Amino acid sequence: MSIETLSLAPIYLPLLGAALILVCKSFFPTKIRRLAEYMGTILGLGLPPVIVLFLYPTLQQQGSIDLVIGSYAPSIGINFSFDGLSILMILLAACVTIPTWIYSRKVGPAHSNFTALVLIQNAAISAISMTSDLFNLFVCLEVMGVVAYVLIASSQKGNAVHASFSYLMFSSSAMVFFLLGVFGLYRLTGSLSYDGITQGLAGLGPSEQKTALFSLVLLVVPILLRVAVMPLSLWLIDAHSKAPHAVSALLSGVLLKIPLFALIRVLHLTPLASGMGLPISWAGTITALVAVLSALAQSDAKKLLAYHSISQIGYVVSAWGLALHTGLETQAGALLLAASLFHAFSHALFKALLFLSIGTTTDCSGNRDVYTLRGANHRLRQEGEVLPLTMLCYFIAALSITALPPFNGFFSKTLLTYSLKGGWQYAILSVAGAGTVASFMKLSRIFLPSKQPFEPIVKESLPRFPFTLHLGLSILAALCVLTGIFAPNLIFFIGTLLGGAYALDYGNQFFFSASNLLKTLYTLFGGIALFALAVSKPGSKVLYRLKAMKSSFSDLFLGFAAAIAALLLMLLQH
Amino acid sequence: MIIERILIFLLFIIGFAAIVAMPNIIKKIFGLNLMNAAVVLLFILEGSRIGDQAPILGDGVKHIVDPIPQALMLTAIVIGVCVSALALALAVRLYKATGSLDINVITKRLESEH
Repeated sequence: MSIETLSLAPIYLPLLGAALILVCKSFFPTKIRRLAEYMGTILGLGLPPVIVLFLYPTLQQQGSIDLVIGSYAPSIGINFSFDGLSILMILLAACVTIPTWIYSRKVGPAHSNFTALVLIQNAAISAISMTSDLFNLFVCLEVMGVVAYVLIASSQKGNAVHASFSYLMFSSSAMVFFLLGVFGLYRLTGSLSYDGITQGLAGLGPSEQKTALFSLVLLVVPILLRVAVMPLSLWLIDAHSKAPHAVSALLSGVLLKIPLFALIRVLHLTPLASGMGLPISWAGTITALVAVLSALAQSDAKKLLAYHSISQIGYVVSAWGLALHTGLETQAGALLLAASLFHAFSHALFKALLFLSIGTTTDCSGNRDVYTLRGANHRLRQEGEVLPLTMLCYFIAALSITALPPFNGFFSKTLLTYSLKGGWQYAILSVAGAGTVASFMKLSRIFLPSKQPFEPIVKESLPRFPFTLHLGLSILAALCVLTGIFAPNLIFFIGTLLGGAYALDYGNQFFFSASNLLKTLYTLFGGIALFALAVSKPGSKVLYRLKAMKSSFSDLFLGFAAAIAALLLMLLQH
Repeated sequence: MIIERILIFLLFIIGFAAIVAMPNIIKKIFGLNLMNAAVVLLFILEGSRIGDQAPILGDGVKHIVDPIPQALMLTAIVIGVCVSALALALAVRLYKATGSLDINVITKRLESEH
């Protein structure tokens, strides 16, 4: 088997696994069906990360593995290019998907359809990470989208179906605009592969350049919608909070980030796009702050987490946009990109853990309101949990997201804010960090002991705390701790994978310097102060107002139009 | 050529307006289909600038249209069909859950469930 064929394995192995599961489900008895499900999962989820790591030495030698599907001429065929960024995306998807799948085994949605959908999703993610063909990117994004709609609706509740429907309408109509952008670039350059477009765009006149710019905006905005940068993030709240817990973990952990890093390649096409970096970075920074304030106002535990997903993705986008602005070839740009990738990675881990542990807790208590739910650990014990693992995992994740050492959030946030130092983004993100502390203090109150007596909830027949649930949670928690301990090595690894000419050597002395620790302390105190303000009378009134603001279906499109107009205006002024 | 472009643009706008302004979810799905169809037509129109015969090479076939947009649009149509099928399935679910096809009524009824 040639190295080129092997590099496509992360795409076709999950598809093969999904096909195996679906065929056996339709034609064979239960026993074979279950066997096929495990076989398919090992094939589609377990093998790809191994193969990807196996290909790593080859990549170090030659930079990237380029191939054309079906060995057509590169100008006609679909081009794929497997590089360090692909490895990172595939590993990110695997790190979150495998524990989440294990978690879902007994507590649901444990259906062979769910496994097959997750596998198809992973195939789409691998394809997005490798493709260097614009139309292929469109197809893969749509495949990923369709799977996401089905997964959100899989809880069968009316609310989830509604969330899925709004997401579908919004995201699919945005993808039509993406197709228009593809059309624009194809018309100008007569090519769809990234290389062909770069060559075609190089020799354009000024009026054609404007068309190219407009097409690029039409490509970027739908992708930023998937990433949920404000003002394009309204769909996320319902979709992430109404979906089943395992699906929420996948959506927040993986699906938000993949399109963002696929966008790097598209924007790398032409120097025209570098003007887009700065406005995107601003949007990300503002997103981080506004979303964290909205999170502080929420009463529903999962909604609070959904707002935090937007806020943390704001951090990632902020550094990502600035990296594009400074240029990926410079040392500052390489550092910014690595920091944003590392934060995306650690956010994937701790946010998945948060969704799973909070989901388990709220299910057991039959209450999702953070104002009324108290003594949650007592509830968990009452439901039959022997070791307080769920609570422990929640606290590991909460300490990670509030950026306390030695968990991964501390390292990634410190590196990210360090790389932004000097800009006003730094100041805003520091305030957002305090907001994160405050809102997690609010959420953690559900574990405070309660004085009220408990009424036992109606017992269901299936065991509440099967082994798989704890195993899934523990793997994610262990990954959170390990990526924290080995953060310096990981950053170095990310640096080499991005093909950087600059070694990113940030050791423990850098992270545990006096100024960084002092900053963490300030953030902590700022968070406590903010929390005190939020629970005070005037503070809670303001937050109540914020929570009462409702968004309707057409607001989604208003945000979409505003984003396109704003980006276009800013670019045309250059 | 310019008339076709204007018509395609109108089709696109009608579809978009239906998605944004129509309260009926089935009409929203129609709108999505119209938008999709407009973009498909745009690609096909673009491909036919250089020829007028189907790109199936044989004796005496000259001046073929650009085959790449046609290949692309075949895929885009398939994706569009998948998305509409899923959207219609979701619409059925929503109707069963709330007894209405009006998005505002659906939102209200689902909220009052809590």
